[in-house]
Amino acid sequence: MGYVAVRGGVEAIANAAHLVEFYRLRDNTPPIEIKQLKAQFRLAIDKIMGEGGLYAPEYGAIALKQNEGDVFEAAFVMRAYRATLSRKFYSETIDTENMFVKRRISASFKDIPGGQILGATRDYSQRMLNIELAEENETVVREFLEKFNIDIDLKEIKKYGRITGILRHLGFLKPFAKEEDTSLVDVTRDAVKFPAPRSGRLQMLARAETGGIMAIGYSSIRGLGGVHPTIGELRVGLVKIYVKDRTGRKRYLGKVEVTEAETINNELEVGQNGKNVPYMSIGYGLCFGHNETKAISMGILDRAMRDPEGRGVAHDQEYVLYHTDGVESMGFVNHLKLPHYAGFSAGLSTMRKAVKRKEEEDQKLNPSLAEV
Amino acid sequence: MIKTDYVLVEGELGRIKKNAKKIEANYDVTITKKPEIGLTMLKAQDSVEHQEFFLGEALSIECEVALDKTVEGIGICLGDEPERAYFIALFDAALKIENNLKLELLQFIEEEYLDILKKEKTENHHILKTKVDFNLMD
Repeated sequence: MGYVAVRGGVEAIANAAHLVEFYRLRDNTPPIEIKQLKAQFRLAIDKIMGEGGLYAPEYGAIALKQNEGDVFEAAFVMRAYRATLSRKFYSETIDTENMFVKRRISASFKDIPGGQILGATRDYSQRMLNIELAEENETVVREFLEKFNIDIDLKEIKKYGRITGILRHLGFLKPFAKEEDTSLVDVTRDAVKFPAPRSGRLQMLARAETGGIMAIGYSSIRGLGGVHPTIGELRVGLVKIYVKDRTGRKRYLGKVEVTEAETINNELEVGQNGKNVPYMSIGYGLCFGHNETKAISMGILDRAMRDPEGRGVAHDQEYVLYHTDGVESMGFVNHLKLPHYAGFSAGLSTMRKAVKRKEEEDQKLNPSLAEV
Repeated sequence: MIKTDYVLVEGELGRIKKNAKKIEANYDVTITKKPEIGLTMLKAQDSVEHQEFFLGEALSIECEVALDKTVEGIGICLGDEPERAYFIALFDAALKIENNLKLELLQFIEEEYLDILKKEKTENHHILKTKVDFNLMD
């Protein structure tokens, strides 16, 4: 059985693409403007940028519109688009400690320097469907903004020291005891090899699919892994991006919104007297946009993967990193829809032969069956 | 330099354009590199062990100009904003030339900076209203 080249379907494929557009537009509603999507679907766009590995809110909005809200497809489009562009600059290391803080909380300490700042969160909402949104119009929006923007107190903008600084000062927080590869790699240039350096793992987690790392992180918390941390600090805000131009001058490029999670884990190390001494280590999560689930899950998996002997899939680098890249996993699952005619036909042929052989063997063993 | 970049990146494009026009009116402007989009890889590090890693790329755009064929200016910013990148390049070059226009442009930078700061403080005000005030329960 050899492969048979076939052609056809060109017209059907073109018409399918037109049909997609027809379903998107057939109700003849006003086209959604990109600036509307950017403003009102920011969390979806944040996911698209994070999983696409490209921070570009406007293009994220276009990708969302193009794919009718399918975040997986939109991230795929972003990842493909970034592959067409050349890399011009490397930024200086971003400074998350001095970010413009939009939200900053700790689950470890109640009283923290600077206070717990809830920011824009739905954590304390009751998840009731707000049917009033069906009637939202420009007047409603205007009235809300007018009420919101009164009695503004223009205080100086504060920077917030890290909460983990308290633990470090107390001598409880230490680097994770096991030695590992700390080299800086770029997984977009060199395919990852296992065991991967921590830099490669963090980069892959930063562009992993939120649901994927959440599921594996959750498995660890539930007991199918050894990591169940406390949130030392979770912060969302804007970081400034600097590069050096071709003349070597430091230049400011703009701000990028990020979510950062420092998860605290209890550890043991062998002390000088041979007895176990407790300490704390962090798991680190940092991702594009406002995506707390992703940053926390990243923190859990960062810590889990540093202990490959741990029980459960969360500790297995290859399992975590190969299966949580949304573009790769979605691509592979969806490739199953593409024609597998030759392979399936070969399998069918083998099965027919096997069934026939079995029938022939049965007849030999019991000739009376042939008369049935 | 950084403050000028900050204002031109974060500032209101219409007002920046108005001042950029003054530069165009005073010099012979040559666009030596048309606005071209590309990628900037963002480097990050964890906050305790300072392990560096690449967070992901950001869309960026750069443009270069020359004033009177002698003074070079480079403009770079995030996003697909060719006009803004061009204006940054114009300002970059114009601010290298000591004259009255430079003073005028610097004054604009100062005024625009205050406006940006006001917007940031306004947002900060709303954010600080979500600060938790813990009280012990009776």
